[in-house]
Parts: sequence; C-alpha cells; structure tokens
Amino acid sequence: MSLRVLNPNAEVLNKSAALHMNINAAKGLQDVLKTNLGPKGTIKMLVGGAGDLKLTKDGNTLLKEMQIQNPTAIMIARTAVAQDDNSGDGTTSTVLFIGELMKQSERCIDEDILLAFRIIYSTHPRFLVDGFDVAKRATLEFLEKFKTAVVIGDEPDRDTLKMMARTTLRTKLYEGLADQLTDIVVNAVLCIRKPDEPIDLFMVEIMHMRHKFDVDTRLVEGLVLDHGSRHPDMKRRAENCYILTCNVSLEYEKSEINAGFFYSNAEQREKMVSAERRQVDERVMRIIELKNKVCAGGDKNFVVINQKGIDPPSLDLLARAGIIALRRAKRRNMERLVLACGGEAVNSVDDMTEDCLGWAGLVYEHTLGEEKYTFVENVKNPRSCTILIKGPNDHTIAQIKDAVRDGLRSVKNTIEDEAVVLGAGAFEVAAKKHLIDNVKKTVKGRAQLGVEAFAEALLVIPKTLAENSGLDTQDVIVSLQNEHDRGLVVGLNHHSGEPIDPQMEGIFDNYSVKRQIINSGPIIASQLLLVDEVIRAGRNMRKPT
Amino acid sequence: MREVVTVQVGGFANFVGSHFWNFQDELLGLADDPGADPVFRTAALDMDVLYRAGETHQGVATYCPRLVSVGSRGSLGSLSSSGTLGSRNVAAVDQPNIFTWQVMSGNVTRSVEKPHERNLFLQSLSEEEQNPSSSSHQNNAKKSAEDKDLVESLENGVKFWTDYSKVQYHPQSLYELHGSWTDFDKFNNYGTAREVVSEWSQMEEMNERLRFFIEECDHIQGIQFILDDSGGFSSVAAQYLESIADDYSNTPVLLYCVRDPVSHGSSRNQHETIIRSLHDAVSFSKLSSFCNLMVPIGPPSLSYLSPLLSIKDEKHFHSSAICAAAIHSLSVPFRLQHVGPSSDSVHSSGNLDIGELVHILSDQGRQNMVTALDVAMPAPSLTDRKDLRNIQRSLRSLTPEISDEDEDPYAVESLVFHGALDSGGQRASILQVKDTVCSALEGRARKPKFSHLSVSPCPLPIPLPFPSIFSSSIGQHGEILSTDHPEGTQPKGSLDVVSVPMAARLRSSNAIVPFIERRSASLQKLGMARGALGSQVLRDWGFGKEEVEDMGEHLAKMLRPFYPEMDLSSDSD
Repeated sequence: MSLRVLNPNAEVLNKSAALHMNINAAKGLQDVLKTNLGPKGTIKMLVGGAGDLKLTKDGNTLLKEMQIQNPTAIMIARTAVAQDDNSGDGTTSTVLFIGELMKQSERCIDEDILLAFRIIYSTHPRFLVDGFDVAKRATLEFLEKFKTAVVIGDEPDRDTLKMMARTTLRTKLYEGLADQLTDIVVNAVLCIRKPDEPIDLFMVEIMHMRHKFDVDTRLVEGLVLDHGSRHPDMKRRAENCYILTCNVSLEYEKSEINAGFFYSNAEQREKMVSAERRQVDERVMRIIELKNKVCAGGDKNFVVINQKGIDPPSLDLLARAGIIALRRAKRRNMERLVLACGGEAVNSVDDMTEDCLGWAGLVYEHTLGEEKYTFVENVKNPRSCTILIKGPNDHTIAQIKDAVRDGLRSVKNTIEDEAVVLGAGAFEVAAKKHLIDNVKKTVKGRAQLGVEAFAEALLVIPKTLAENSGLDTQDVIVSLQNEHDRGLVVGLNHHSGEPIDPQMEGIFDNYSVKRQIINSGPIIASQLLLVDEVIRAGRNMRKPT
Repeated sequence: MREVVTVQVGGFANFVGSHFWNFQDELLGLADDPGADPVFRTAALDMDVLYRAGETHQGVATYCPRLVSVGSRGSLGSLSSSGTLGSRNVAAVDQPNIFTWQVMSGNVTRSVEKPHERNLFLQSLSEEEQNPSSSSHQNNAKKSAEDKDLVESLENGVKFWTDYSKVQYHPQSLYELHGSWTDFDKFNNYGTAREVVSEWSQMEEMNERLRFFIEECDHIQGIQFILDDSGGFSSVAAQYLESIADDYSNTPVLLYCVRDPVSHGSSRNQHETIIRSLHDAVSFSKLSSFCNLMVPIGPPSLSYLSPLLSIKDEKHFHSSAICAAAIHSLSVPFRLQHVGPSSDSVHSSGNLDIGELVHILSDQGRQNMVTALDVAMPAPSLTDRKDLRNIQRSLRSLTPEISDEDEDPYAVESLVFHGALDSGGQRASILQVKDTVCSALEGRARKPKFSHLSVSPCPLPIPLPFPSIFSSSIGQHGEILSTDHPEGTQPKGSLDVVSVPMAARLRSSNAIVPFIERRSASLQKLGMARGALGSQVLRDWGFGKEEVEDMGEHLAKMLRPFYPEMDLSSDSD
C-alpha cells in the first residue's frame, strides 16, 4: 500500500472494513441514545470519579458528558451537538436518524454482497448517496407544505406556544413538573420579546437555589441577584424603590498614575489619605443627593446596584442615608436590570439625573446559609425576567436547568419560524409515504435504493417512540401507515399505541429543528458512506485505548 | 486587612496550590496548638488575607481558602468537585464510573473506569474527622507508626493533587473544565484549548466563581494567579486574565507561571520543537499583556537545585513542593500586620501589599514586569558576620533561561526572609536579620538600585503530607547541621523536619533578558518571517497575520527597557 511507504506506522482500514466501522459506530451511538427519546424515554445516570451524580435524558447533555473516542462517533456527535447549538433541540433525533440511515444503507450494500456470488453486481455507496440527495430535497419541500403556519404578529397565540413548550419539556422531565414549567417558559419568552427584534434569550436570567422542591420553581418578573448588601444596617426589605444601576467605583484606591506617597510624619500621611478618600466620598455624596431629591417626603426607597466595588466607609455613608447598596453585580445583570426596571446604567456620577433611575415595587433579601439572594420584583413593564429554579439537590437543579434552556429555545424558535410541525411521529410517517409514493418513481436506476433507505430511516422516530413506550413497533407502524394511506395525518399515542391527531393533542415540533435534522443527517451519513479508507498515523486503531 | 484571592489554573498549578494550602492549613493548626513552637502563635500571619469565613447550609461555621481552582475534568481524583464541605462521605467507593464510553468498531463498549480509591492519607483524614478523640495522646506510639505509613504511601502513590490535600475547599472553589472534543491528555499547546475557550458558558462560570469571592472582599489587594503554562491552560488563563483585567481594572494581578520539569522533556521531532517554541512565545506574549507582574517558575531540572535537597524531577509531588514553598514565602509580606512607616515591631517588618510589590518591581528601574525568582530552602543561619554573602549565595534561581550575571545597575529586588535562625540555632530577631541582610548588601560588588526586605520570624511549617526532599544534613528546625555528611543516607521528610527558615527573592533585572529574547526570537523566526515554518501552526491556533505581528511587537516592546539605545532608533521610524 502506498501509505505504508509514506509512513510505516500508519494504521489503515480499507474499503469494506472502513465502511463497516463507520456503520457500526453510527449504530452504536444510536443504541446508546435510543432509549432516551420521547416522553417515555428512560434516564441515564452518570457517575463521576468522586461519586458525583448526574441524571439526564437530554441527548445534548449526554453527548457532551460521554467521552467518545471512536472517530466516526465523534463526527456524528459533533453534528448532533451543532444541531443543538443552532436550534436548541433535536440532538437525540439527529443521532437516531444518522444511525438509521447508515443501518438502511448497510442492508442495501450487504444484500449485494450475497448476490455477488452469482452475478457481478454491487451497489456502490455513491448510488445511495445520490438517492439521499434527491430524497432530502424532496423531504424539505414536503416539510414546507406540511408545516402548520402560526400567526405571531404583535400578540402571539399563547396556546400554540404552550403546546410547543410542553412537547419539548415533557421529553425532558416528568409530566407534572413539565406542565408547570410550560407556563414559566412561555411567559418568560413573551416577557423579553420586543417586536421586530430577534429574541435575546440571555435576557432571561436563570438562577438556582438549593432550597425546597423542584415544584417551587417559579418565574420572577424582575431580577434575582445572587448577592446581598454587605452592611448590617441596610434594610432587608424595601418597597417602592428607585433603582440606580451604575458602574462607578466606590472604593478607595490609589490613583493609577504612580504617584507615591511622600510624607514625613503621621499627620501628613493622614492628610494625604483623606485627600484621596475625599474623591470617593464625593461620588457617594452625589448619589445621596440624588436620593434625597427623589425620595423627599413619601415612603420611597433607594437602591444602588453597582458593577464595581463599594468599600465599607462608602457602604456606611450609604447605609446612614437609608440607601440599600449592592456591589459587584454581574456584568450581564446591568443590562438586564435596565430592561427589567427601566432607567439606564450610568458610568459616572456626573451625568446622573432622575431619568436614569429605574423602579421596582419590592426589593428584598433572602438568605440561605452564607448565600444571599436579592429579589427585585414588582417592576413596571419588564423586558427581562428571571427563572428561579429550586430543587433539593444539585442533580435535580441541573436537570431542570437543561430542560428550561431547551424549553426557552423551542418557544423562541416557534416565534421566529412562525410555524410548527405536527409531532408524535406524524411528519415522519407522512414524509415516508410521500417519498415512496411520489418521489421514488421520478428517480431512475439504483438511486431508488437510496430514496427507499431514506424513507425507511425516517420511520426511526415513531418506531423508537413506540419502543420506548413498551409498544409493539410493527403494530404501531402498520396502523399509523394505514391511517396515512387513508389520507389522515396521525401521530402515535404513546399511552395506548393508537393513532391520534397531534393537532388535537397539542403535540408539535419545531419547524427549524426538523429542517435542521433533515438537512444535516443525510450530509454526514453520505460522507461516512463514501469513506473508503481510514488512516490513522501513530496509534493502533483496532485496539481500544 | 486586605484580601488576596488566589486562582489556580492547570494541572501542575493545582499540585503547587495543594502544597501551598497545606502550609496555610498547618499554620492555622499550629497557631492554635499550645504544644507548638510559640513563634507560630505570637508572630502569626494574618490568615484572613487568604481565607474567608462562612457557614454551610446547616449553619456550621467554615474557614476556607479564597480560591478558584480550574482543572481538567477527572483531575480531582477522589475529591468531589463540590468541595469537601458536608459531602465527604458521598463518594461511594463501589459505584462504577461511567465517564469513558468508547464506541469502538462494533458494539458499544462501556469501558467502566474504576472509581479512584482514596489513599491511606485521605482515609486517615476522614477517619479523624469522624472521631476526633482517637487522635489523643494515648496511642501516640501507634500514631507515629501510622504516620510513617502515610508518608510512605504518599511518597510512592500520588496521582492527583487532591491525594495529599488536607484542606477543606469551598464548594465554589473547584471547577472542572470539560471539552467534549478536547483530549486533556494531549492538552499540550496553546491551540488545543480553542474549543474550551470558545465555549461561552464555561468562561462565564469561571468568572462567576471569581466574582463570588471578590464580591465579599471589602478591600481586595490583588489576585495571585498560579498557572501551569506548559499547555492549553495558558490559553484558558489568557482569556480568564483578560476578563479579570476588564472587570477588576484596578486590582493588581500577580501571575506565577509554574511548569513541572517533565514538561521540558525533549521533543521527538522538528515539528514538535516548533510547536513548543511557538507555544512558549505565544503564551508568554498573551499572558504578560493581561497581568501586572509575571514570575516564570520551573527550571528544566530541580534535582541539582541545592545539595541540601533531593528532589525527584519526575514526581509532581516533589517538584511542586518547592514551588509552593517559594510562593508561600513571597506571600508572607502580604499578610504581615501593617504598622507605621518607620516603626518596627518585634514580629514583622516590611509588609507590602500586592499593589506595592508590583509598583516596586515593575515601575522603577527597568520598567520590566517579568521577574526572576530565587529561593533558599532552607535559608542559611545567620552565622559569622564575616561570611556576609552567605545568604546571597544560597539563593537558587527557580526561573528558567536566565543569565547568571548579576551585574545590572538598574536591578530592583524584593527579598523575603522568614523564620531565620542565628548561629546557635535560636530564632534570630528581626533586627539581627535586617542587619545581616543590609551588610550583605553592602558587601555586594554591584548593588541593586533598590531592594526591599520583609522579615518575619515565622518559618515555613512542614505539614505531614510533604515529600521527603530534605537531605540528611538538615535538622529538625531546618538548621544545616554540616554539609559534609556522608552521601547516600535516606532523605528526610515531614516526620524529621518540623519547620524550615526560608528566603525568597524577586528580582527585576537584565538577568531575565535571555528568557524574553528567546521567545521574541522564536516568534520572529517561526511565525513572522516569510515562509516561516510555524505560520501554519499559528493559523491553526486561530491567529491571523496581524495578531501575530501584534504579539511580536508586544514582545519587542518588553525587551526595549533593557536596550535604551534601541529605544532611540525605534522612535525615529
């Protein structure tokens, strides 16, 4: 082999061995993730070196946690994770779909090997790939026709969004909790949505507290900060508050130019220090002045939330003036605060006016051990909000966090796609029928095999859903296909195994997620099929490391 | 009191950090122990500078290091990443670890990793925690026998930095980086960390952890940053430091770049050599632009450092101990009680905060922010006045690639001397130390332009999990018995040596020039010159042509203070 000449240490797998390695890897990965699909999917438990636990059924989390070493599997996993990065969901489906495409292709290729005993006849993977290409284009066209348009406009239809979010969340969490989170997620996205602007999900703060139970998770219209005031005399609870969001250093620090202190006695030194100190005090006084101006008479309060530090003398001054002050706020929270409370973030005390102030009806502190949380609530017209996740232990919190993230993405996708796709396997069955009935005929020659394999592979979704619900796969697929043959669009009821109308049940998938799966799956599968040689220099490939 | 927040990034940095915190823990223990040397009580360093008080959910008071430690996943061994607080017993020994899944050709193989069993030392720690009464004086004999086993087991079996750590960490302290496609075993150059760095959420989480500790500081004096810059972690750290510089603009950052001797290992081929040189150049250039003072530590071999020490290069446990001791010594001035400018107390002299240290070393003389570190461990006793250069000579450099000549008229240095002994083996007073050091300074042929001295009577305590690296000629309190002891005797460890006097010195002088020059030259030659061999490597690491040129310029600028004449010529164009 020529490569041997180039590098005697290189490992080479050729032709069918390479192809089979790829196929097997894809099937292997599919096997791992298969059981996690759908609301009835099971959960995987990951145990770390020191006994840390993680429970998850989110494909994305799983793929990231597993240290995959097979090169083919890595390629597939990367595609699937990229899928998640783009559209927030569909990782498991992507892996299943790629695995199934490979499996179907294997069947075509293997059959030919049997035939080869009599006639010289073998399907080159190229034919399959061509078929995939045709089928992919046809499916995407079909998806355009099949999708259900959703009118978003100024006031999106809450019910559709809810159904969407529920479908996503139920695949990640148990039903009771999922239903509770549905409202939270939908309200959160609607809260931060601005007409004619892309939705920035960063404006939803996700905060977690190890406290109480998972069902205590709630949406805070306003903001929760993970720190409190650092002065014992500041109020722990205040109503009707002006909020000053600022990025001004309120601590004494040596001037940045290197002016050393030169002094000969203690008195002189004191003077120098107090002169430096005065600058900081002046800034604090400006804030206090503003407070006195806006809060004069009446039961209003004043809260300062600063991105920079505030040292104890400044805190003291502020506390004496009745101001609540928080220091070192997260940078992103500065943006969120302004969106939640109004006003604007000020970078210097000089340009500070009444207009810069935000407003919150209630500000209070909650202490858990050494952790403090500050709630800024009852704000007018919030454009930012916080999902406060509670849970008794870390793995519950982590699980909810992942689910919330996916839920938010799915609602966002729906608003941006202005469309949804019927779920519960309805789309896949319909698309298969379309491919077999209409598309296959238009293709000539052996590329037909590719179209057929593609159509068959689509069915992996309803099949797996059925399998995970403990139903008989054959029965389910046959009855679904029968309904589709009669012109009805139905999905799978995972409780009974009967066909249902997903529209009635409110089971929807994201249009962009489906589109992405159909787009990326065949591409990676085609590439893997066309691999004729695997070369790895320097390391032995057959031996697991 | 002004707080210091410590950050440790990377494998070897955590090894160093683990020793460092063991020293602190030992100091805390000795300050409360009536049976210990009184010097630990009276001259106590202010531990609040490095530690924070808090409480757990159950209301139990805690006292933990103000620390953010970043490592790769799996580098924590048997310690849970939520720290040790409250959950020590959770680590189930018989549960399989499903971390590594290999999908090799064919079936799914679940390669189940054995959970890391806790070694003898950690077991004894948790035992002690559960029934503190067992460590009473009755079974003293038995205990010392046990200790011998413990020391031996550590000597031979340290795999993770947590294996010898006796400190309780805060749950926010330990962070494990995970890159799904990053192989941390091959995390050996700047480019390998691209995936980790580009993932927004991990960097955010690291910043959040740091913010947690900084938010509660009333008046932070600075950040001490220990980094293993031999691999991809320097790219992680560069990103981290950049956001620190952004968020805490007036907080000085003191960066220690530690490397273990093994990482200097000879490269196999030309390609690797190129990658190594470029990595050194790029990471040096990137890191130096985001910190205030940089101290490269890690000579290619530590075994010849001093005849009084026997360090095995291949053991991280050994080599990290000496780095940690040096860093401990340098941190002593940050913790001395602040007294008036000219008055001297009995207990300390010459306190400094990080900002002042940075100012002294980098803003005067050469305007150079890369300093060399020298250490004397153990420091010689203050013997005869005639042997003035004793201290001077015993200081060995831990900074690699520096020139030996010590003739720079513009040198600036800061010397820390703690726990000094006089000729009789007694603790020397502050005044004695000062006198000796001053006269030693007088005796030098070329004096540095400026020299700062910090003195504390408190020596370096040797905790139980400290490697046996002392030669047999070192006494119980670190005194040097006689240098002509027969060779071949067993090295002494923590059972025989209780404490050692230490001296450490930071030096900003032209000795560092070769270090910078080599990096600048290799970037020029391999990265910027036309048709350079390494330009493809740099492109793979994600650097555009202009960025490389910027880095080259940055390095050239760092060299400029050492060549005033070059400065003139560059001004003209």
